[in-house]
Amino acid sequence: MNASFRYGRDHEVVQRLRPEPLTAREQAAQAAVDDLDFEIFRHKMDMVALEGKETTMKLGASTAMRWGDVAFGIYTAQGDLAVCATGIYHHAVLSQIPVKYIVKHWRNEPSVGLHPGDAFFYNDPFYGGVHNADMGLSIPVFADDELVCFIGAAVHTGECGGSEPGGTVCGAKSRYDEGLLVPPIKIGEQHALKEDILSMLSTMTRDPRTMMLDIKARLAASRIAERRVQEIIAEKGADFFVGALRRILSMTADAARKKVSRLNDGIYRQPRFMDTVGPESQLLKINIEVEKRGERITLRFHGSSPMLMDRPVNSYFQGIIGLAMVYFCGWFFHDLPANNGLLESVDWEFPDNSFINAQGDVPVSYAPATQVAFTQGMFMCGARMIYSSDPLRAVASWFSAFAVTLYGGFNQLGDPVADLTPEINATGAGARSDMDGVDVAGAFFATLSDCGDVEATESDRPFLYLFRNQFNHSYGHGKYRGGAGVGYGLMVHGVPWLGMGGMGFGSQFPSTLGIFGGRAAPPAFLQMVRGSNMGALLASGGEGLPHNMAELYGGGEQVEQGKREYADVSLPPGPFMGGDTYYVPVTGGAGYGDVLERDPHAVMKDVRNNLTSAAAARDVYLVAYDPDSLYPDLEATAELRRAARQERLRRAKPYAEFLAGWNALRPPAQILRYYGDYPLPGQPS
Amino acid sequence: MSFSVGIDIGGTFTDFCGIAEDGTLTTCKTPTTHYDLSVGFMRGIRDLAKRTGLQTRDYLAQVEALRYSTTVGTNALIERTGPKLGLITTAGFEDTIFIGRSRSWADGLPTHLAQDMARIAKPQPLISPDMVMGVRERIDYSGRVICPLSRADVLAQLQKLVDRGAMGFVVSLLWSFVNPEHERMIKRIIEEEYPEDYLGAMPVTLSSEVSPKQGEYTRTMTSVVNAYIHGLMADELTRLGNELRDEGYQRPLILVHNTGGTKKVSRTKAVFTHNAGPVAGMYGATELGKLTDCPNIVFTDMGGTSFDIGVIADGVLRAHDFIPVIDRWRTNIPAIEVKSIGAGGGSIAWINELMQDALEVGPQSAGSMPGPACYDKGGREPTVTDADLVLGYLNPDNYLDGEMLLDADLSHAAIEEKIARPLGLGVLEAAYRIRRLVDARMGHEVFNEVALKGHDPRKFVVYACGGAGATHACGFAPYVGARSVVVPAVASIFGAFGASTMEIQQVWDISRTLKLFRWDKQAYLEDLESFNQVVRELRELAVRDLQLEGFSEDRINFRLELDMRYGSQYHLTKIELPGLFLNNTDDVKALCELFTRRYSEIYSPEAAFPVGGINVECFYLAAGVHNPRQEFKPVALSTAGVSAAARLESRPACFDPAAGMMDTPVYDWLELVPGNQLAGPALIEAPDTTYVIEPGWTYRMDAYRNGILERNAA
Repeated sequence: MNASFRYGRDHEVVQRLRPEPLTAREQAAQAAVDDLDFEIFRHKMDMVALEGKETTMKLGASTAMRWGDVAFGIYTAQGDLAVCATGIYHHAVLSQIPVKYIVKHWRNEPSVGLHPGDAFFYNDPFYGGVHNADMGLSIPVFADDELVCFIGAAVHTGECGGSEPGGTVCGAKSRYDEGLLVPPIKIGEQHALKEDILSMLSTMTRDPRTMMLDIKARLAASRIAERRVQEIIAEKGADFFVGALRRILSMTADAARKKVSRLNDGIYRQPRFMDTVGPESQLLKINIEVEKRGERITLRFHGSSPMLMDRPVNSYFQGIIGLAMVYFCGWFFHDLPANNGLLESVDWEFPDNSFINAQGDVPVSYAPATQVAFTQGMFMCGARMIYSSDPLRAVASWFSAFAVTLYGGFNQLGDPVADLTPEINATGAGARSDMDGVDVAGAFFATLSDCGDVEATESDRPFLYLFRNQFNHSYGHGKYRGGAGVGYGLMVHGVPWLGMGGMGFGSQFPSTLGIFGGRAAPPAFLQMVRGSNMGALLASGGEGLPHNMAELYGGGEQVEQGKREYADVSLPPGPFMGGDTYYVPVTGGAGYGDVLERDPHAVMKDVRNNLTSAAAARDVYLVAYDPDSLYPDLEATAELRRAARQERLRRAKPYAEFLAGWNALRPPAQILRYYGDYPLPGQPS
Repeated sequence: MSFSVGIDIGGTFTDFCGIAEDGTLTTCKTPTTHYDLSVGFMRGIRDLAKRTGLQTRDYLAQVEALRYSTTVGTNALIERTGPKLGLITTAGFEDTIFIGRSRSWADGLPTHLAQDMARIAKPQPLISPDMVMGVRERIDYSGRVICPLSRADVLAQLQKLVDRGAMGFVVSLLWSFVNPEHERMIKRIIEEEYPEDYLGAMPVTLSSEVSPKQGEYTRTMTSVVNAYIHGLMADELTRLGNELRDEGYQRPLILVHNTGGTKKVSRTKAVFTHNAGPVAGMYGATELGKLTDCPNIVFTDMGGTSFDIGVIADGVLRAHDFIPVIDRWRTNIPAIEVKSIGAGGGSIAWINELMQDALEVGPQSAGSMPGPACYDKGGREPTVTDADLVLGYLNPDNYLDGEMLLDADLSHAAIEEKIARPLGLGVLEAAYRIRRLVDARMGHEVFNEVALKGHDPRKFVVYACGGAGATHACGFAPYVGARSVVVPAVASIFGAFGASTMEIQQVWDISRTLKLFRWDKQAYLEDLESFNQVVRELRELAVRDLQLEGFSEDRINFRLELDMRYGSQYHLTKIELPGLFLNNTDDVKALCELFTRRYSEIYSPEAAFPVGGINVECFYLAAGVHNPRQEFKPVALSTAGVSAAARLESRPACFDPAAGMMDTPVYDWLELVPGNQLAGPALIEAPDTTYVIEPGWTYRMDAYRNGILERNAA
């Protein structure tokens, strides 16, 4: 047995997010890399990764494969991500940890070893950084006998055999409730997958067929990319390949440092709050401090809530860094290659005993929620950090809380299904300094994803959509408003019953805050009607049924009858019978700037297009308008706004006075059970 | 003598190609008249007649077929000159076209813009939100009516649209491609309310007729785009038809379709005309390929701003699994894919100072205005054309047949100032790198296009068309892995050539899910009629349509393709069925095996998963009529060597910056004859392009005056 191996999790390898030190081999190989050939190589490798990503998505079967995004990466022989094609940058960056694990533990282990034709699978979130549903596969690539790189794909497979269906486990008490938990293991040798292991993996999930198709998709795409790499090596030689791959990393690191150095130095703080720990509404805090100094950005998290021993919102620190990379790659460093060379300019400090630095056996199914809560703070700190140098890229946050519908059971064709609905990718974008956020733009953490067609979902999932329209008011107002999200209603259709639940947060208070005076996107919650008469209502013509969220909550009499319930978007799954209905809000992006500065014409255009209510035009934006034509009265509006500004000044008070009043406030004790010391976790008062 | 004429409208020029029944080609170009495309069209026809030695009326009277790749519809979309349409959809789904599957902001956008997340924006919709009305109705995945349609509700919504000024209606309901009854009911109601013989009659477009495919966003947008451009196209093409008739043309005007065939104007759905020009070029390549026994072709067209790529495998133009984006709108028409990337003579070279001063080329382009620095129209950025000029490949006094003079000093200055000096390089070295970089990137893109369709690019011959194709073919072909390049004799008007050779064909398609092999029972489909019935329905549609064009059923040939998938996959792999029908379980089994074999070839045997179930999801029936075609007669190959007349004065050109400028032989393409062979380095000046024969390559002119470039064995 390899002397370095210790059974159980490896806490050392997860620290290695930045590029490994340059090896003598990599150093020597630099000599083989000519500038022009290197530029050609860089483009070729991008094309190889793109082909890999496209192929993975073509062949996969789960919702994330269908509509989503795949992190397809090419890693150095030491496991550093050098090239990737993706919009889910966190998976690409975090996938280097399992690869580094493979190098560390299996390369010299005689009972495992690394050979041409091998394939490794993994889904332990300790290495993947997020949660069990995120699964990856990678293969080693050799030039003669030399290991020259790894190629792999990571993507969310919608079902991982936890104690609840659909990939996340709201009621998880420990990691052993969360289903399949596989550290990197060899599942293929000599270009053949091992059927005994496939049998085990498929047996441990509710949807074995999708599990197999997703694994095969990752492998097939990796093999195609392997062929391309072998062709490059055949033409240019292994020295060139090894040297050039490493050079991409070092070049990126230099570029990142240069880009960071051009920002103003400063410290940017953004406390973030969450309103759930999974199965119950509770207050949690992520205390984010971003310090930019010289060529470095340091992320600090002291003062965040403590670890939760038996609730699934914990996140491994590496997942938080992964999500920081989503912001960096998509927004801040969008013009640089996406690889972990970018992290050469980033440092981090995580406190012990913090739910954003999970340890031991605590559950992490809801880590994505915690991670996007963090990213929202990253957007806000980033906007402040970048405004003075590039105001057009100082954006308010996209919707950052999830409102995911999870389900499991059998579909109308008799096949097992367990997954999530694609509207996870139907959120609104944040507003910008010169324009509104995009309505229903996608998901900020998976920028190549989309929300698919209703017909595609209904074709093999047991749902009948009652509506899917834009969700007005779902965004933050402002000088420029956030993009709207969507609202949709589902009826369980074609099956006797289905397990359904929800994952997310932001039902008790806003999750997605505005920037520079812009407002937050509102809280949102689920509605469900058990024993609904919806089927009969539709059969008799469907008169009076709501067709969007505004009508659902419009205040009129509901024609749908049954046992109506409202719930947080974080909802432990339970059985829903055929004909039961379920209404889901997917919220919009945050606002930018003061609502009183919004162009009255823009407000009324939104009213005419059903994206803003007349009440909001009147009460939020203070626009006077003609109720028939819905066009603004500019003079009257200016007067209303002038008066409102005077009222603001009248309410103003000295900061010390405000602080004294503010500090006297305290949330009710029953929501502070997991919060830690109040107001500053880790600092007993 | 009869003629077949092809016309291809481009952004700058409209190209014409006439083929006489003896195979003689006549070509010409006229400037595209954007204000009224018919002006340039008729001017070109007159020019073509003149070059053929005939009066226009006499010439047109002898034209058997006039095939036209028009951009009338595309222009209407881009310029937003279409009519005010009303969209009627299922209540509860009124925002489908605005949601656009959420990522419609990226559709039709170049990659570098789609990656700048802070600046994304959705395009202005073709139909405004107040012109979309939902009607209460619902059909489920199986076609069962869950909520009946109410006539009163339809009338109420219709009235709102009419009051708001609708000039036409698109009806697109959920699952209408499985059960179109509700859409048809709405059409009947509209026609009853606004009968055809009344002035208020308005066209009604049903999604189940335009695009009976799964996916409500793409189906609706296909229908919307079709309705949006239909009226304008009909008006303009009718006017053009009348002008042609006045000038003596006695047959119907025929339109080139992006599905790889042609149909009469009166039998054409507008949406099939988008981007037909490059598809005509691909068809032309297929035809030339037949002459030279070359079935696997990657067609390329390099112009000033873009580089088009199309893949032809086994000598057949096929629709692949891709989403045609028209302007910024996803559609689901079975069009032939032509990928367009931002690389051309106008691509700008720049230094990426963040990335250790890496040299980059594109994606920004100087376009045709101001164009490359050497155009002397105000452009100061160094471009690929400037690099070609500095390297001595282009003749500044004989560019585009001498119609444009190039200023090499301006190219030199731009490259020196913006690239060479900052990088500490000589100007020659900098120009060489610009060219190598753009060639490599184009080659990589071509490679991926072929590979993503499941083929080995090394087994393909590159067809290099467009004004800059012959200039860069030797440069980018090695990155494709190709050893052989064909530069067609009519490369610069290849779209028009292709159009002139095209046959009548259309594709009828429909989404239908059939489980050929069931995962739960591990058993093959027994209800063969469920498969055969779909094919029969498509065949009936095809036969009826082509009979209306005047063809009897026995002249129609069919080809059936199926979109298939394993189990719960979403994406599809296209398979061509050997016949049309399934006669027994062995046929089903054979089809499943064919699918798995093809899938394994494309994606590796490890990827195949036959036990997971195999579905058919979509049927495509291509129906065409074979026309007797003009025979291109080969010219006897000369063995006499290159004539003295073909030799022009040599000039310095650079193929290796270390060696500097070397005296390089230059030839006049017009004086070369079939059979002539040249070894690189050499330059050949043709009226519309310059061939750059790099060292290590040979050139020969084949019996049809096509240039065959071959890489010498290493």
